[in-house]
Amino acid sequence: MSNIYQPDLMTITKIIQEAPGIKTFHLKFQDENVASNFSFQTGQFGEYSAFGAGESTFCIASSPTRPDHIECCFREVGKVTTALANLTEGDTIGFRGPYGNTFPLDDWRGKNLIFIGGGIALPPLRSVIWNCLDLREQDGRFGHISIVYGARSVQDLVYKREIEEWNQMENVTMVKTVDPGGETDDWDGHIGFVPHVLENDFKPDPENTVAIVCGPPIMIKFTFEALERLGFKQEQMVTTLENRMKCGLGKCGRCNIGSTYVCIDGPVFTATELAALPQEF
Amino acid sequence: MKTATLNKSDLGKCIDLLVQADLRVIAPRLQPRLDEDGPDAIDVLTFTEVDSGEGHQVGEGLLPLNGVKEFLFAKHEPLFAYEKRGKKIEIIPVHHEYPQTVIIGVRPCDAASIASLESVFSDANAGFEDPFFTERRSRTTFITYSCTAPDASCFCTSVNLSPDSAKGSDLHLTEIGDGRLHVEVISKAGEAVAKQLQDLLEGEGDQAAREKAGAEVSEKLTRIRDSAPIMDWLMDTANFDDEMWQRLGEKCIGCGACTFACPTCHCFDIVDENKGSKGYRVKFWDSCQFDHFTLHASGHNPRDWQYKRYRNRFNCKFKIYPEKFETPGCVGCGRCIRACPVNLDITEYMAEVAHKAANPSAMKADQDSE
Ligand SMILES: Cc1cc2nc3c(=O)[nH]c(=O)nc-3n(C[C@H](O)[C@H](O)[C@H](O)COP(=O)(O)OP(=O)(O)OC[C@H]3O[C@@H](n4cnc5c(N)ncnc54)[C@H](O)[C@@H]3O)c2cc1C
Ligand code: SF4
Ligand code: SF4
Ligand code: SF4
Ligand code: FES
Repeated sequence: MSNIYQPDLMTITKIIQEAPGIKTFHLKFQDENVASNFSFQTGQFGEYSAFGAGESTFCIASSPTRPDHIECCFREVGKVTTALANLTEGDTIGFRGPYGNTFPLDDWRGKNLIFIGGGIALPPLRSVIWNCLDLREQDGRFGHISIVYGARSVQDLVYKREIEEWNQMENVTMVKTVDPGGETDDWDGHIGFVPHVLENDFKPDPENTVAIVCGPPIMIKFTFEALERLGFKQEQMVTTLENRMKCGLGKCGRCNIGSTYVCIDGPVFTATELAALPQEF
Repeated sequence: MKTATLNKSDLGKCIDLLVQADLRVIAPRLQPRLDEDGPDAIDVLTFTEVDSGEGHQVGEGLLPLNGVKEFLFAKHEPLFAYEKRGKKIEIIPVHHEYPQTVIIGVRPCDAASIASLESVFSDANAGFEDPFFTERRSRTTFITYSCTAPDASCFCTSVNLSPDSAKGSDLHLTEIGDGRLHVEVISKAGEAVAKQLQDLLEGEGDQAAREKAGAEVSEKLTRIRDSAPIMDWLMDTANFDDEMWQRLGEKCIGCGACTFACPTCHCFDIVDENKGSKGYRVKFWDSCQFDHFTLHASGHNPRDWQYKRYRNRFNCKFKIYPEKFETPGCVGCGRCIRACPVNLDITEYMAEVAHKAANPSAMKADQDSE
């Protein structure tokens, strides 16, 4: 009988220090069979374990179009994330997943996409951004792609290399911002909170456009409000939630919003779906 | 359905026969709750593994303190072991015994709760099967016993059950007077157990006497409240912010006793218990009544007040279970009422909701005039 709580083992093949306290791991399955049978879709998450400390929930931060390895990116905030951060290249971690639903890429065909993220919330967005960029490259299935990303300060911006890469791309509009006071002398982006910059500087046209928002609950709330004022309808707004989780399997009872279990019914929701839930997230 | 009669005085012999058949038998007994020799040792009715019928309390008292949940969903259990060897990790499966088990003397509310736990832990829920639960479940037979003396906290009749219900039972016993029990074989597993007991079983049962006995006990349950409108009321998300939650939930101190006592509560935590380079990953009971249960690492907490945690518990019982898992969330056992140190009574919420559901405009007018 298979044990749903038992992780597969992965080797950390590369570690990148993204920002203070934030690291990216490149991970490969140790078992060939597991590696060849593994697949995931963008938006899904996993339970990552540092043996001896426990498990933590992170999204899969890489794109399924780049299946050589998977990536996670995490902030050191507690017991497990600190233990993970203390590991070095070549070390072994545990992985269970992929779990949860996915971004509805099929619904986005032919549409313009705006990705909006704040702080550490870039990892889930990064997966879907690369996924959409790669697919658009293949068959042009999406329209214009814009990325609005902000952090508390310049040094807190994650994926600095890729922000530059996106900045250089034609067909991509890159809007970066830092909170007031977080700028440096040579900062060439905006200064202001993400929802504010979005509404007052970037002012996207809602016509045939989907907005994908990731961030802390408070940022999601203000960004949705800003989007609505710009004329976006609820079904044009998508987000992912980060409720506290343990099992990822719908058993441990920790992640629910009313009868909706974020681990199996989410983590991806449209604003329409969120509005129908009890407002407890 | 096959029926028979059994002398109540032979229940001890039944246990002996089951033990002799190499079954693990769990029965209610009076056990000191704390250290046996300590000054606080008080005997409490407890489900416990027995090796003979001696001192059994089947059919005596009311509900054992622990219920049957812990024999299916362990309070604490290792999921696997691991050992670190340099940069490598070895995962070592742990050996769990899943002996063929009979639990005898189970009350109808506890028996009805098994289907609820099963709806969470089986693969019917999102296709994921918790093997630790399902392995035990498939090897456990339940011999149930109709209640004769419900107490003031019992309210099974408010949640579509009754003191003589055989829901979730494999073999059901009901007292029919003169020291005799009416025996009903409900399932294949019950039939197998009846075979072990056949020397003690006699002829046909007495269906009429059984129904009469059941009806008489049901009448003793005066807390009858119709729980049907409760789910409908909870389904209206506007009521999630009703003033009632804060008012009634204010006294809850978040101790979690209600959830640990509750036969349908399924929540757990997963942690590593580590020693040096080895350890176990373990799963153990947790409670939505604890303040850190939903706390995000950022400090944000969707249930930042105790009344919100109790609101979740009430919704879990009367909305989430029936809506998401399609099984009852509350079986009316009253354990949460008996266990609560501040006398928070779930039936008070039920009554209040039922009242609000029945008088929507009156309640609204009340609020408007305040
Ligand atoms: C679907 C999903 C996707 C996610 N994706 C990501 C992701 O891609 N990247 C990412 O970084 N995070 C992500 N998260 C959040 C991540 O799961 C948590 O940040 C992480 O699990 C915290 O684990 P931990 O064991 O280190 O913290 P824990 O030790 O469990 O600590 C968490 C809790 O303990 C408290 N705590 C711990 N240490 C202290 C302390 N020293 N002082 C005070 N309080 C303390 C914190 O307040 C916090 O509530 C995601 C979550 C979900 C549900
Ligand atoms: S909620 Fe209370 S009365 Fe209902 S099943 Fe649980 S412990 Fe029993
Ligand atoms: S959410 Fe709360 S009430 Fe529901 S099963 Fe878990 S601990 Fe029990
Ligand atoms: S037993 Fe009572 S005080 Fe304790 S968590 Fe439950 S309702 Fe609150
Ligand atoms: S994380 Fe365990 S139920 Fe959702």
